Amino acid sequence: MQIFIQTLVNGLTTGSLYALIALGYTMVYGVLKLLNFAHGDLFMVGAFIGYFAIGWFGGPTALTIPVPLLVIIMLVIASLGVGGLGVAIERFAYRPLRNAPRIAPLITALGISFVLENAVLLFFGGLTRYYNTPAFIPFSISIHIDGVSIGIVNIIIFAGSIILMLGLTALVNRTVLGKSMRAVASDREAAEMLGINVDRTIAMTFFIGSALAGAAGVMYGLYANQVANLIGFLAGLKAFTAAVVGGIGSIPGAMIGGMFIGLCESFSLSYISTRYGDLFVFAILIAVMLVRPTGIFGQAPLQKV
Amino acid sequence: MKVFRYLVAAAGVIALASVTVFAGTSAAHNATVAKACNASIAIEAPLTGPVAQLGLEQLAGAKAAVGAYNKADGVHVTLGQDDTQLTPALAVTKTAAIISSNAVAIVGPSGSQEVLAVGPALTTAGLAAISGSATNVTLTTNGADKTFFRVVATDGVQGPQDANYILKHEKPKAVLIIEDEEAYSTGLGGTIQQILTAAGVTVNVQSFNGQDTGATLANDLSSIVASQLNAAETVTVMPIQEAADAQQFAEDAKQAGKTTLVFGTDGTDSSSQFFFPGSLVSNFAPDIATVNSKLDKTVTKQIKAAGTYGPFGVPSYVAAAVEVNAIASVCKAGKTPSRSNVLAAIRKTNLPANANPMGQVIKFKADGDLTTSQFYLFKINASGKYIQISTK
Repeated sequence: MQIFIQTLVNGLTTGSLYALIALGYTMVYGVLKLLNFAHGDLFMVGAFIGYFAIGWFGGPTALTIPVPLLVIIMLVIASLGVGGLGVAIERFAYRPLRNAPRIAPLITALGISFVLENAVLLFFGGLTRYYNTPAFIPFSISIHIDGVSIGIVNIIIFAGSIILMLGLTALVNRTVLGKSMRAVASDREAAEMLGINVDRTIAMTFFIGSALAGAAGVMYGLYANQVANLIGFLAGLKAFTAAVVGGIGSIPGAMIGGMFIGLCESFSLSYISTRYGDLFVFAILIAVMLVRPTGIFGQAPLQKV
Repeated sequence: MKVFRYLVAAAGVIALASVTVFAGTSAAHNATVAKACNASIAIEAPLTGPVAQLGLEQLAGAKAAVGAYNKADGVHVTLGQDDTQLTPALAVTKTAAIISSNAVAIVGPSGSQEVLAVGPALTTAGLAAISGSATNVTLTTNGADKTFFRVVATDGVQGPQDANYILKHEKPKAVLIIEDEEAYSTGLGGTIQQILTAAGVTVNVQSFNGQDTGATLANDLSSIVASQLNAAETVTVMPIQEAADAQQFAEDAKQAGKTTLVFGTDGTDSSSQFFFPGSLVSNFAPDIATVNSKLDKTVTKQIKAAGTYGPFGVPSYVAAAVEVNAIASVCKAGKTPSRSNVLAAIRKTNLPANANPMGQVIKFKADGDLTTSQFYLFKINASGKYIQISTK
């Protein structure tokens, strides 16, 4: 039972991270029909911002502010910083290619991914950076269930992800911006004709999606304890898998897909083998594509006849 | 009389001019010889990626040695850098590029799995490679890596030393060994497992994918703690190449309320990444920063000036020094450095123990291993510092 509970906790934690990153993928695909392969690296930039934020406030062993405030500041700074970066990337790399063949922005996205990875390498070096989370969030802060210790970091990640996802759902369904995003995702030209500022809507979509990735980066750093310039690639790939499994373009799908992928990975590591975690994740992708190509919550595109 | 004086003065002037001209020519000749002794070597190390710490230490060591020995030997050797991220695939690509270049020797590769991948190509090219960290025993016994040398002891020394220390001092009933599936890890883990099993200890061997990073890696280690680490396993041996993984495992075990002594091997030697108090780490290099000898202080200063100082820098320093010395000896013999004559010179290396920071004689056997070598053992104290302890 202990193994099951620990595995469940691990799965929900990593699933939450994948879900947050997957939301960005799915939002951008929804409005632009673009798979933004640079999204995983935006997550990486968020993790680095979180690392430097710890240093700005005295470092992990000599903090000058309370830990809860530090975590909130890290999340806010990373979200705003990465959100702004996402807007800049959209403005200068994707917007000029909006009417180009779809392969063009896709390749640009790959290029942006390499640029981000190597820019971080150039400015900050290749050394892995450590959050050293236990130094400021001790193990003793935890809850115990049936002999399993669930650290506060796991709880923060899961709860924080749920709050962000609920916030996003509310924004998309209940605000004017959300309505604009849905309209642009449905039919960009019609939305423009109705007076919706398409450029601003797309920019805001990128901002929100990137901000979520930035927040995920900070949470990842707190959980995994180490950040480096190449962490975004595989995390982005798994989040992409989660978005596709859940139904690309569907926000609930991205959330469910992320949790599903995280849990599958965790249970396969615990109960089958620690060697084949990635194998199972991508095998699930293939299986879902064969059985339900549109994903769990995806809808087949309407065809005009 | 006057004529005689003029003749003497003229002879003096001629003599003086001759000496000046010859002296100048000689200096120019020496300068020409020194300038003519140009060669290039390359370092293959993980300069980026999860083990960049190791690679950057090795780069600093190699750079420091090239700078110091260029000056001492009066030669001009340049050092090229090639990043392999400790992966065989990248090592193959980089080695091919080096073979195509005019480099006459390589410092590295760092990882045993890399040497296995590129050894045959190096042999075919006749390119000497001296590693400061590849310790798998088979690298010098498999017959495929004929131009490979190393300035560190092998796992044939580390494995028995570590296993015997555990048996003598920890007296465990059961031990957990965690491998990362790379050649270094499985080789060393296998050696330790054999010795412990023969002594009646129950050994549980688990492995995870050494290429995993981030949340997947965190899950790997957490899963092992939750599902495999039991109360009887009072020692966990981690013959892996990423020190941070040992730290993560130790922290996960502590969080789960499980007590086990983490024993890391040379791949985990990094005070900035693995600092869990009470843990043990074995390594092939001493920490010369804590030694008072003039040579060690000088070398420490040189390495710090060249980049990141750490335990992996010292063997790399020695490896580069051997290569520069070999190049210099070729030049002194009046030849132009080439792969074959540098390789031959390396085979004749005989650096006394007191002339290099490793503190042991650097002399190679026919298979490329040192004639004598040793491993060191460190205990991590409450402040996270590495304190050298006896291996007995």
